Amino acid sequence: MGVQGSSLKRYAITRLALVIPMLFILLTLVFVLMRVAPGNPVSASLGGHVPPAVIKQISHQLGYDKPLYTQYGHYMWDVVRGNFGTTISDRRSVGSIILVNGAATLELTFFAVIVALVVGLVVGLLAGRYRDSPIDAGGRLFGIVVYATPVFFLGLLAQLVFGVWLNWLPTSDQASPITQALLKTHTNIFFVDAIIDGNWGALWDVTKHLILPATTLGLVYGGVFIRLIRINVIRTLKEDYIEAARARGINERSVVYRHAFKNALVPVVTVIGLQLALLLGGAILTETTFNWPGLGHELYIYLQNRDYAAVQGIVVLFGLVVVLASIVIDFVNAFIDPRVRY
Amino acid sequence: MHLRIRVRYLVALGAGVLALAAVAASAALSAPQRSNASTILDGTTDTVTNVDPAGNYDYGSFTVDILMYQHLLDFPAGSKVPSPSLATGCTANGAQTAWTCTLKQGVKFSNGDPFTSADVKWSFDRVNTIKDPSGIYSLLSNLGSVTTSGDYSATFHLKSPQSTWPFILTTGAGFIVDHKVYPADKLVANTDVGSLVGTGPYKLTKFTPGQQAVFTPNSNYNGSAVKNGGVIITYYSKSSTMKLALQQGTIDMAFRDFTPTEYTALGKTTGIRVYKGNGVVIRYLVLNVKRAPTNNPAVRQALAYLMPRQDIASRIYHNQVTPLYSMVPAGLPGHTNAFGEQYGMAPNTAKAKALLQKAGVKTPVPITLWWTPSHYGDASADEYTEIQRALNASKLFKVTLKSAEWTTYSKTLGTQYPAFQLGWFPDYPDAEDYLAPFYGTKSNFTSNGYSSAKMDAILKNEAGAKTTAARLGFVKQAQVLAAKDAPIIPYWQGAMLAVARPNIAGISSTLDPTYIMRFWELTKS
Repeated sequence: MGVQGSSLKRYAITRLALVIPMLFILLTLVFVLMRVAPGNPVSASLGGHVPPAVIKQISHQLGYDKPLYTQYGHYMWDVVRGNFGTTISDRRSVGSIILVNGAATLELTFFAVIVALVVGLVVGLLAGRYRDSPIDAGGRLFGIVVYATPVFFLGLLAQLVFGVWLNWLPTSDQASPITQALLKTHTNIFFVDAIIDGNWGALWDVTKHLILPATTLGLVYGGVFIRLIRINVIRTLKEDYIEAARARGINERSVVYRHAFKNALVPVVTVIGLQLALLLGGAILTETTFNWPGLGHELYIYLQNRDYAAVQGIVVLFGLVVVLASIVIDFVNAFIDPRVRY
Repeated sequence: MHLRIRVRYLVALGAGVLALAAVAASAALSAPQRSNASTILDGTTDTVTNVDPAGNYDYGSFTVDILMYQHLLDFPAGSKVPSPSLATGCTANGAQTAWTCTLKQGVKFSNGDPFTSADVKWSFDRVNTIKDPSGIYSLLSNLGSVTTSGDYSATFHLKSPQSTWPFILTTGAGFIVDHKVYPADKLVANTDVGSLVGTGPYKLTKFTPGQQAVFTPNSNYNGSAVKNGGVIITYYSKSSTMKLALQQGTIDMAFRDFTPTEYTALGKTTGIRVYKGNGVVIRYLVLNVKRAPTNNPAVRQALAYLMPRQDIASRIYHNQVTPLYSMVPAGLPGHTNAFGEQYGMAPNTAKAKALLQKAGVKTPVPITLWWTPSHYGDASADEYTEIQRALNASKLFKVTLKSAEWTTYSKTLGTQYPAFQLGWFPDYPDAEDYLAPFYGTKSNFTSNGYSSAKMDAILKNEAGAKTTAARLGFVKQAQVLAAKDAPIIPYWQGAMLAVARPNIAGISSTLDPTYIMRFWELTKS
């Protein structure tokens, strides 16, 4: 244990230290890619409306006419000082975007993971338990379909069925306009803000708005879990200790749910981390489909406007989240599975 | 057995909690809805750059500002000329180089501060001092200085004569702010709603960028009473999502913008009405007069003969736009169907052919038309396919279509493209704003190379005209010359469209060429 603790500590320090060069590379890549793409925020917003001289003057004012290395130097110096800049298209600090819109993404992805886990666990377990039965075939088919379906298509379908045809659920936004107008901001996570205020009407409204986007994103994410859990359950059910448990006369339900199922869950923890990139990528499309004001939704808009500061800030944050999550997952794995070595 | 009991207990407890929550929710939800019954819930796909008027030059921001601020002169519903608002009137000196406005007395900002001439000077000076990257200051390029005389008189000293200065006063650069609150050299942050005060019909009470703007009536408003309990504007990134929200009743109305197909579908939806009024948005094809083949006037004129305006309006835009035969849209003073008179109201292949033959141009003329899929709506692709179809069908042109994303396109325009799509939304609803930015040698922003001493002289005379009749005479001359030279071919004029549920009334009266949605005149039942 002492040896493992020491190796884990060394591993953790190495991984954390690598985050800095990774961030540097990511910042540089995004900076260069945004600059080599034609056009800039000024021409995007004013082109086709004011004389070229005005565009030139404003580009100069913002330093876009300076050599790339000068712009890069200024940007990196600001980043080092914790200043990710201010957007051109709506004059927001990147910090406030991350705070406000990041909270919306956090809310959506949190509930999407819950949906994914519930769907993945239930369907995966049943499919693995009743292997080669109609339940298994149905579960596998469901898993493949939800995983393969583009998230925006699934979202549009959900909007059409539950919003337009059945009129059960709202099809866009985090809350209805009046709820949002009246809800006090504490954390920018509407669900939490409503609870803090004890505003149950708002909580119900926010929950209703969460259902379609969280389920859409969760289903896509859940498709991975279904297949993973099914395979793990099948494999675990063949293990010697399962046979031993059965031989001892433990009833089948306990064998499956208390022994096989628990052990089949260990790889899921790893996959949650590894699939975070998929989740964030899916969030961009889900948020755009449902007008959910998260970071993905904002990224889509800022990209259209060639808003350098915002795109750089959001992409780097996404990258950072994925890297940190994979490190955390490594730690969690080391703690829950004693066989894991670093 | 023990586990089963525990599970049942948990299920029962969960169900109980859910039931209680549902009851509490329905009770709590109904309360705020009742108290906001007359608040208008609007949706838009516009975006807001900045609420502070010195920092925006886009329609989405203007729509927010017009609710909070007033100009010295404004457009009452149905009026095409600037009328007294914070000023009781504005008059020019003989040379049209100085405009003096007498101010209304007793007006207060929403925070209670009195409105005086100091606020007028402060508001215009800070636009020119801040020089915000939005480019709004470019509207005041002709302003030399502002002087005041007492608390209720302000004079604008212009660099060159400008008979249309009152129109400039109605633009985003002319909103009046409180000099005690707004810094002289920097903008007020969007989220600092306490400092965003004006004299307009509403106060901004909450602003969440990209999501929502909440307005409540301003009790200090000096105009006629606001007819509703407030406005909440919800911002949508996609029109399809806004359409669903409108159909579900999440929002009461939507102003700007849907695709032509969505407008048509909404028009057929029970319980939803599409309102249509005169609009001033135009679309046109810019021809580069320095690059082949459009450097040949005969080629440009042949294109003018063949432009399929009616087909574009009916087939592509479902008659939500109307054919346009001049850069100055119909409905504005001075408009004339110059292209219709010169080239006919319908495409004329025979005349185009004769013209090209006479000029010795070999047909079919190969030409590349550029358009952008990311700025003028989804219908742009169909629009240019229709133009290609019509030109190819004449056998006089062989059209190649090319497109580029707006960020690339807007930077390139006439510097590389021989012929390209553009649209125009005016800074102010006057013919001048449809002529000078396109045909003036110095003010032409299209980079299409058009320069005409005769046109420049007409535009100069128009700017300095001492009477409206004289000015409109020059406007007509400019349109005729523009049609003859054909460096730009206008082809449609958009309507002002708004969509609402039956509980909203008063929309029709605010749909006019000034393109202002006067929310304060709408009622909600």
